[in-house]
Amino acid sequence: MSLSSRMVAVLTSIGLLSGGFLVTVGFVTKERIAFNKKMEIERAILTVVPGASGGRIVYEEKDFTVYAGQDKAGQLAGFAVYTSGAGFQDKIVLMLGLDAALSRINGLAILDQKETPGLGARITDEGSFLVYWEGRDFSRPLSLRKPPAPSPESLSASEVNTVTGATISSQAVLGIVNSAREKLLKLNQEGKLSLEGDNAN
Amino acid sequence: MELFSIFFGAILINNFVLHYFLGICPFLGVSKKIDAAMSMGLAVTFVMSITAVVSWVINHWILIPYGLDYLQIVSFILVIASLVQLVEMFVRKTSPPLYQAMGIYLPLITVNCAIMGLALLSALKNYNFIEAVVFGVGSGLGFTLAIVLMAAIREQLDLADVPEPLKGAGIALIVAGIMALAFLGFSGVIK
Amino acid sequence: MPTKTATQEFLKGLWEENPIFRQILGMCPTLAVTNAVINGLAMGLATSFVLVFSSFLISLIKKLIPSQVRIASYIVVIASFVTIADRVLAAYFWDISKALGPYVPLIVVNCNILGRAEAFASKNKVGRSVMDALGVSAGFILALLVLSSIREVLGSGTFLGYRVLGSWFEPWTIMVLPAGGFITLGILMAISIQLERKRKER
Repeated sequence: MSLSSRMVAVLTSIGLLSGGFLVTVGFVTKERIAFNKKMEIERAILTVVPGASGGRIVYEEKDFTVYAGQDKAGQLAGFAVYTSGAGFQDKIVLMLGLDAALSRINGLAILDQKETPGLGARITDEGSFLVYWEGRDFSRPLSLRKPPAPSPESLSASEVNTVTGATISSQAVLGIVNSAREKLLKLNQEGKLSLEGDNAN
Repeated sequence: MELFSIFFGAILINNFVLHYFLGICPFLGVSKKIDAAMSMGLAVTFVMSITAVVSWVINHWILIPYGLDYLQIVSFILVIASLVQLVEMFVRKTSPPLYQAMGIYLPLITVNCAIMGLALLSALKNYNFIEAVVFGVGSGLGFTLAIVLMAAIREQLDLADVPEPLKGAGIALIVAGIMALAFLGFSGVIK
Repeated sequence: MPTKTATQEFLKGLWEENPIFRQILGMCPTLAVTNAVINGLAMGLATSFVLVFSSFLISLIKKLIPSQVRIASYIVVIASFVTIADRVLAAYFWDISKALGPYVPLIVVNCNILGRAEAFASKNKVGRSVMDALGVSAGFILALLVLSSIREVLGSGTFLGYRVLGSWFEPWTIMVLPAGGFITLGILMAISIQLERKRKER
């Protein structure tokens, strides 16, 4: 066998063998990985939509997905919005939970962030930040209170406490929530959020 | 505006070397003289920009549509290896002195984590074509900036009295750490 | 030069030819994932998997591969094992996979692996190649553990997620940032060079 045909033969066989092997591995792990991704989203929906036992996509576009959280009886328990935006360091990905009437925020979960550990990263902390989002009024744009109020009760209905030492990260989250709010209310007005609609996947 | 923040961000805020830890081997290895660093930086930027394009095309036209995204690793590295091979042949034909000067470092670009990292990060962030190109050029320039700055500092350090154990890699890493700290200051520049 | 025993092939990877402290290879993942011990450990194990299996396979088929295409062949073998490691992590260890992010695929450009294949596995018997790979892997994991322990304990006050330093300790956040990684590694390298010099003088 001449050298060049040997080279071709070797490269081809290595290519085919590894290709075949990888396709097998890819196939075996595909479902598990898709499941893991789905679980992550589901867990977030369950956190921000109390009473929901599952979520269905009712609207989807790049960087903005709206899920309908349904309880065990299939009734609408609330909506969850999966969206992201620019943070201090990198992208912040969050899940925002609303009630069924889109009038109040049920909760907020930060799914991915790369803010400064110990400072900006505290936006993921329940006690320092997330708890203040619960029960906020969704009918108007929200704002940040700085310096932070001592307790959730002393905040007005559309105010949220800033995390001390993490003003910019807190503002980033506020920006993401407010623009999600505008978009969501507009979609609702246009009737794009119905459970039966053909926007559902 | 979005494109500007990707570009600017790649150079200063999320600098490939000082923030993502990519391209450390050449960063430590080729940063002793400014002109070597500059050539390496520009060669890497060039390969990165082309890689950005080719990997995007392969990812979005072949891999994703056919559900083959697990083949990303193998395809990207083969693309990079071939591109570097082509660049090497090109440089050898068009400018033999440059080829001589770059020596072993040209083929070493293949295992420069920065280029593979670029392909992977671009796929991870789901950039569209223009964004991917801007990201590629920006990160290449960021790498060049970091490596040239490092070379400038090391040329000065050569004249200083560095304790024996720290010489070479040790002091280079500490300098890199201080540079990383300095670059932290750029965070939040873009709103 | 006397040939080494299998055990010696293994041991040399731990210190003399320690990939991080002595050979300065495989830097990128070292700095990126050592902000917490669990991440460093996972990365070390994943890299070892790729290194050992690639060395094994490459040493096994070394006679079949014409020299001109050897680098390309090694790359395909290594990239395949990296893909396997990446997929298995994502399927069964989702949280760690997310924490390590793009750095697992980056194992493919870890100069260690291709370097070892070229320098050793392509020229030695299967048994020796595997021992060599195991040794270098152990050295790599050791280095990662040392670096990540320092960074996690000083940077977050925890070890493997458990608090080890009481609340009197204000964590040095810089340790978990890139800057801290660079500086810690620089100091560790200086220490290891100094230790080596003292050892040679004896």
